[in-house]
Amino acid sequence: MAKDSPERDLTLLQRPTRRRIQQKDRRCDRLIKFVGMQLTFVPAALLAFSAVAVTQSSRPAAASMHAANAKSDNAKFDPRDFSGVWNPAPFMQPKGEVNPLDLGGNPNPLPPFTTAGRATYEANKKFVAAGDVTSCDPYGTARNFFTPRPFEVINSKDRVLQHFEYYSDWREIWTDGRNYPDDLEPDYMGYSLGNWEGDTFVVDSKGYNGKQFLTWQGFPISQQMHQTERWQRVDRDTLRILFTFNDPPNYAKPWSITYFWKLKSYPLDAHPCTISELKEWDERMGHVDGLPGLDYSKPGMDKSNSNK
Amino acid sequence: MRTKLALSFGLLAAFLTVDGPLWAHHGGSEYDTKNLRTLRGTVTEYYWANPHCQIFLDVKDDSGKTVNWGIETLAPAVLRRAGWNSQLLKPGEVVTVTIAPSKKGTPIGMIRKIVLPGGKELTGGELGERPPQP
Repeated sequence: MAKDSPERDLTLLQRPTRRRIQQKDRRCDRLIKFVGMQLTFVPAALLAFSAVAVTQSSRPAAASMHAANAKSDNAKFDPRDFSGVWNPAPFMQPKGEVNPLDLGGNPNPLPPFTTAGRATYEANKKFVAAGDVTSCDPYGTARNFFTPRPFEVINSKDRVLQHFEYYSDWREIWTDGRNYPDDLEPDYMGYSLGNWEGDTFVVDSKGYNGKQFLTWQGFPISQQMHQTERWQRVDRDTLRILFTFNDPPNYAKPWSITYFWKLKSYPLDAHPCTISELKEWDERMGHVDGLPGLDYSKPGMDKSNSNK
Repeated sequence: MRTKLALSFGLLAAFLTVDGPLWAHHGGSEYDTKNLRTLRGTVTEYYWANPHCQIFLDVKDDSGKTVNWGIETLAPAVLRRAGWNSQLLKPGEVVTVTIAPSKKGTPIGMIRKIVLPGGKELTGGELGERPPQP
């Protein structure tokens, strides 16, 4: 790989990430070789049967999924396989929807706030305008989706895993047919169940702790949030997800966002959230410019799980 | 190059704001995105860390006085995809940067482009996908 192409230069990555990518590449090479041998030696009838079997499988076959994702052209792909690195394409969002990355201070349109939801948002807005710099709290699922940074999807036997580059948050989407646990504990990332409707991956999430913003501009989220996502691979390189947010304390009715991502060939990079680095950056840059710095307490939290 | 630079700049602005100021989202400065400045100066420090890397640069102003500028960039992960790395700059090197300056008039700016001592140009990185070209 060309040294001047940092997206492909594994030497720039941290060792565990580099090792993971190299192992993945070796696996892909073996799979591609294996598929090539099949194409050479297996009779056509058997090959046709195999193709049908792969198509009808409830879980994508590893060979087809990695071979398809390794190609750079617009080859055939498994519409049920979302594995790979996806970079956001906000310009593809339909006009008229709430823009989850509009940090200009006056997003238009706004979600259908309740009175309480609007008040919380207004409080959060001041915090965002001051820089939202104080913590490394996990971003939750929606805010992670709507950062302008890529995420990776990894298929597991019983889960689809999402790894978000920004702040390195992980999300598990259970695909083993389970229901929500009876003793579901609220958490930043919530609890997610995934099911298939044809080629649409439907993700249902609850169990959020209400301690994070729903989006970067401070739209609120409570512990009653019920989030659904409909994932579709509209072509080989394009992922579309329709989000619907149902959170009665903050929003008068469910509302939706349609967002898009593009499949990339580069590996996910590392961006951990580190308090010491945030603090140092703030002291070096923020204070020079007369900004208030780190002396903020985060408003707008859902404190209904507090024991006080 | 000018078109490419303007496009990258517009893209970043489109992400972080619709028609308002460009906010650095970690408590940073409000940048003047409509009046870019080009500075030529000597690197005094290159700080490679999250959330945003920083370049400190001694620049002579119109009166000949040397002012140390703080140049904000994006995160290492974003810069790496644009061709940067932690060893890109060394103190004493002379570089040219195009920045969106702080609206407060302080010697702070957000990187848009850098020209390295050997003449190689790098953008400040991209957030998300670039819209299709007309």
